[in-house]
Amino acid sequence: MLKFDFVYLLEQIPKLVPYLDITFLVLILTLFFGTILGFILAAWKLGIRPILSKLAYAFTTAMRCTPSIVLLFLVYYGLPALASIFAFDLNDLSKLFFVVTAFSLSFGNVMSEIIRSSYLAVEKGQYEAAVSVGLTRFDAFRRIILPQAAVVALPNIINSILTLLKEGSLAYTIGLIDVMGKANLLIAMNYEAHALETLLALSFIYWSISIIIEKANELLEQRLSKGRTFVKTV
Amino acid sequence: MLEVREIRKAFGNQEVLSGISFSIEKGDVAVILGPSGSGKTTLLRCLEFFEQADSGEVLFDDIDVDLRNVTKEQIKAIRQKTAFVFQNYNLFNNKTALENVLEGLVIGRKIPKKEAEAIAKEALDKVGLSDKYAYYPSQLSGGQQQRVGIARAIALSPEIIFFDEPTSALDPELIGEVLATMKKIAKEGTTMLVVTHEMSFAQDVANKIIFMDGGSIVEEGTPRQIFTEPKEERTRQFLKRMLPEYTYYI
Ligand SMILES: Nc1ncnc2c1ncn2[C@@H]1O[C@H](COP(=O)(O)OP(=O)(O)OP(=O)(O)O)[C@@H](O)[C@H]1O
Ligand SMILES: [Mg+2]
Repeated sequence: MLKFDFVYLLEQIPKLVPYLDITFLVLILTLFFGTILGFILAAWKLGIRPILSKLAYAFTTAMRCTPSIVLLFLVYYGLPALASIFAFDLNDLSKLFFVVTAFSLSFGNVMSEIIRSSYLAVEKGQYEAAVSVGLTRFDAFRRIILPQAAVVALPNIINSILTLLKEGSLAYTIGLIDVMGKANLLIAMNYEAHALETLLALSFIYWSISIIIEKANELLEQRLSKGRTFVKTV
Repeated sequence: MLEVREIRKAFGNQEVLSGISFSIEKGDVAVILGPSGSGKTTLLRCLEFFEQADSGEVLFDDIDVDLRNVTKEQIKAIRQKTAFVFQNYNLFNNKTALENVLEGLVIGRKIPKKEAEAIAKEALDKVGLSDKYAYYPSQLSGGQQQRVGIARAIALSPEIIFFDEPTSALDPELIGEVLATMKKIAKEGTTMLVVTHEMSFAQDVANKIIFMDGGSIVEEGTPRQIFTEPKEERTRQFLKRMLPEYTYYI
């Protein structure tokens, strides 16, 4: 085995960094669509229509039992097959589309549970007080419930984003070249010599992003948790 | 001003309100007494539309609501005229004392911010919290929180304020300040419908007592009538338990 080459490791970082744009694109698009899906599913679960609520819970059960990589392949191969039944041709769609679709389904599912439980964590009395002073249902939700639910949800959301970031690396399995895909190519081009250095360089990049996300979490938590000081100053 | 006719409400097959009728005039301070589980909270919650009553009628000034089919507009109109003070305060936890009072004025009533702020501060001053505008509920004692709850209600200048056991979540030493605040606004002519177990308030401040048991009104009258010459045995029994010294009045 080759000697560990620290300089080689450092050299890999600038080669990988340009491919972060795809990694971030996947992350941001998934956050966007997944959050929308999460709100819809949570509304169905909490709503009064039994059919929608059953449907949403069934979706959650199904997603829980599907490994991410299986879901990714299902979407990548299954969606075009399904579409072709209806005479749509999805084969030319970019790989990004399939990756974002697959991750949005699973992230949306996780979000729906986070939204549902944090919504339930806010006491019903908050809503009642809001409508009794004349707020509409929507205003009560937006101004009173949501800010309080967000505080409860934040740690879980951050966790899910970190999970998403890590699972995002699976995108290379269908050939999307993000930072993970590039690392894989670099290793292959070198006939797997210095694979360890490349993978460590990749890990450094992931660690840095995670640290940034966690810092953002801390700042956000401070901002959101106003009114949550438990120091009694009577 | 407010007339309630034959309100009925069941949870499942347990009837909690079995035909409640009473009326309240402007300036009245009416106290509802009754043992635990008699339906007092449910009654107030039905009047604020937190619960949907099964049947009955609510007449509020010129609004006539058939509880069997209530419209959104009617709910809104009634809530405009009423305010609610909760047993466990239900202050908006994410807002300061001042913001708690402002919320209904600015967002609910669409009063310009400047004007609303003056009203809100006046309300907080009235309940003795002029030094606590910027405090969050978690930074206030129970008694202070409930006084913010009262300020939030009076700031809206409702025609009537419903109080559901406003002092029963408080430590004994904090009850006095809340009762004093309630007494103060009652003396200013605020119309109030109060569920409480505080007999002193019922005796000294109320001009009307409604005694409920098992989902019905057993008897109603002036504090004098109810406390010194109750007609019904059930009222007598209840008062005897609540006021051990009551026996001396006979
Ligand atoms: N949401 C609900 N679902 C089912 N039953 C309920 C509900 N709310 C109240 N009840 C029942 O209705 C009855 C009356 O309750 P309510 O809270 O109105 O009594 P109360 O007179 O306010 O009593 P307390 O003095 O203990 O506050 C009780 O038997 C209670 O268990
Ligand atoms: Mg009660």
